[in-house]
Amino acid sequence: MNPVNYVYLAALLFTIGAAGVLIRRNAIVVFMCVELMLNACNLAFVTFARMHGGLDGQIVAFFTMVVAAAEVVVGLAIIVSVFRTRHSASVDDANLMKL
Amino acid sequence: MKHTLLAAGGHTGYYQAYSVLGLVAVLGVLFVAASFAANRLLRPDVPGAEKYTVYECGVDPVGEGWAHTQIRYYVYAFLYVIFAVDAIYLFPWATVFAAPGFGATTLVEMFVFIGFLAVGLLYAWRTGVLRWI
Amino acid sequence: MSATAVAAPAVHSLWTTAAAAPIHAPKIEYAQLSPILVVLGAAVAGILVEAFVPRRARYGTQLAVTLIGLAGAFAAVVGLAATGYATTKADLAAMGSIAVDGPSLFLQGTLILVTAVGVLAIAERGLEPQSREVPHVDAFAPQAAAVPGSEDEKAAARAGWSTTEVFPLTLFALSGMLVFPAAGDLLTLFIGLEILSLPLYLMCALARRRRLLSQESAVKYFLLGAFASAFFLFGTALLYGYAGTLDLGGIAKVVTGDAAPNAALNASAHGDALLLIGGAMIVMGLLFKVGAVPFHAWTPDVYQGAPTPITGFMAAATKVAAFGALLRLLYVALPEMRWDWRPVMWGVAILTMALGAIVAVTQTDVKRMLAYSSIAHAGFLLTGVIAGNKQGVSAVLFYLAAYSFVTLGAFAVVTLVRDAGGEATHLSRWDGLGRRSPLVAVTFALFLLAFAGIPLTSGFSGKFAVFSAAAKGGAVPLVVVGVLCSAVAAFFYVRVIVRMFFAEPRADGPSVAVPSALTGTAIAVGAAATLVLGVFPQWAFDLADKASVFIR
Repeated sequence: MNPVNYVYLAALLFTIGAAGVLIRRNAIVVFMCVELMLNACNLAFVTFARMHGGLDGQIVAFFTMVVAAAEVVVGLAIIVSVFRTRHSASVDDANLMKL
Repeated sequence: MKHTLLAAGGHTGYYQAYSVLGLVAVLGVLFVAASFAANRLLRPDVPGAEKYTVYECGVDPVGEGWAHTQIRYYVYAFLYVIFAVDAIYLFPWATVFAAPGFGATTLVEMFVFIGFLAVGLLYAWRTGVLRWI
Repeated sequence: MSATAVAAPAVHSLWTTAAAAPIHAPKIEYAQLSPILVVLGAAVAGILVEAFVPRRARYGTQLAVTLIGLAGAFAAVVGLAATGYATTKADLAAMGSIAVDGPSLFLQGTLILVTAVGVLAIAERGLEPQSREVPHVDAFAPQAAAVPGSEDEKAAARAGWSTTEVFPLTLFALSGMLVFPAAGDLLTLFIGLEILSLPLYLMCALARRRRLLSQESAVKYFLLGAFASAFFLFGTALLYGYAGTLDLGGIAKVVTGDAAPNAALNASAHGDALLLIGGAMIVMGLLFKVGAVPFHAWTPDVYQGAPTPITGFMAAATKVAAFGALLRLLYVALPEMRWDWRPVMWGVAILTMALGAIVAVTQTDVKRMLAYSSIAHAGFLLTGVIAGNKQGVSAVLFYLAAYSFVTLGAFAVVTLVRDAGGEATHLSRWDGLGRRSPLVAVTFALFLLAFAGIPLTSGFSGKFAVFSAAAKGGAVPLVVVGVLCSAVAAFFYVRVIVRMFFAEPRADGPSVAVPSALTGTAIAVGAAATLVLGVFPQWAFDLADKASVFIR
């Protein structure tokens, strides 16, 4: 199968994730959409690595995984602390600072 | 290979390239607006309370949208994620560290890396998150 | 790309050829990386302090570890610069991952100094109301994990606990910032971005007062920041797909045609599209970090919600690091794409200056006003980036150094003006402050005049430098817009000064807390830097000029 198709798939996944971030209201779902975007990046990196015949892209995928894990920890810690305060994870409820 | 448009048409070609971009943006907006408007005009509009309920595989949802989980689980999940994922760096290292040119320095560097992880674990232990409450 | 693969008819026959090639042992120049390593070492030591030193001794130990680490890192930067790494011996260290050159060392030195001053403000414990049991209270939550207003939190506050983790977090953020403008490839750039962002997200959530606001700002910053870094990463993937390398210099070579892009890819996936879209997405990620319009929406909320000492640190240091990275990306990797990115950056710069200056006029909260002012300043800095010449680089370097100290000083003054509810940030509360505490009001007025770019302050020298560089680089209309926006911005800065000195003081007005030596030093250093860089800017210009050549 032509590896370029995987690039298209990655772009598609990335778009789905980005759309999810923009339209979903639950902070945790928004956050999962961000993770989907990062995984789409990983797919693109691995595909390009295969197409170029190099290893760089695969190494980047490793780094992305670790960064994504660290981001999960920081993000969930923040979201959980807000949830415990307000008993809601809707991003619309976080509106103390609207002008 | 790039800037063929610049060479071809000078300034006009340059701005033309941007007008294409603008045109695509305008078309995109129009497409979304038109499809939403068509949707609005063509669809039957029958609001009802049932339509606002949560859809869950056709069964009436039970309980609230928020299932409560024990907060203590998530700390373990965090620790697992961090330390398990960091371990993937060991695999590429393991394939080369015996190769010529690597040797003792590589070994020490990897132990420094593991040392960093150990510091994190030490902190977690001293803060008391490893204790089962 | 091996010859057999190019000759092969179908793309799917491209089996990985690199796997067979031997992998050479990496060579790491630890001496050239020493500033970053010292800061990271101090941060790790801070974690160990947090784990093993008894709670009562933690504050002092953490402060000492942090300041010693910063002093060591600054000495390392000066040592590297003195031995010529800024000019003649500029080099790519760690297999091309970190560029040790003039702009890197200049920005790293600036960042370390800024952090040192920021840490002084962060360490302040004398402003909050105190009791005999709890003699020292800082600006951070007694226990970050406790629910605001809960019994746990009250107990922690009574016990005199505080979040001393903020010191190692600051150092971790700083280490990311040191990597960010020095990154020699896109992967290091991404890692630097994340290491600087993640601690900042956490630090935003740590305010002692108004914790709901603080946590809310952390959520906003985190979600938008993660969104932006995902865009950045996808852009990186596309540029990698285009060029087949992650090195900034290698990408530039492919763009100019000195090195061939992947033939199979270009035939099937339109290489130019990969380059343009990838570049745009990376720049988008960086513009988010500098807070340029249209990626500025997080700035006012986060600046308002975060604890004020953190806001000062973040506003100053993030801008320095992110503009350094933006300069390196545009001048090292994409200089030949100038004709593609310049028009876009023109638009962004004009929008940023105009929106920042105009919306700031309507603000009623000091921290939000300073946030919009920082957006306007991002626009002024962008004019220097657009200049596209060596003078532009040195002007941006100088502007960053000047602006960061003014910002630190201004936010440090904001921490002093307080009433029963904590900091009195509403502008109407500042009426007549000049009569009650002239020294504080005069200092704040100095910082505002520097923001406005009045002569004899560092703000004027910086603006003059970026505008003249931009004019020389052929962006005269941009300079005209910049000067107009400066005039609008000057209006609201002067309005605050007028309020402070000529309005009647309110009876229930805020009081000005007497700072300890820590915040006092921070404000004094900020004011001194503002005046020195305003009155005698030449030596700093010379320094920035010497440091303005990127290694490729």
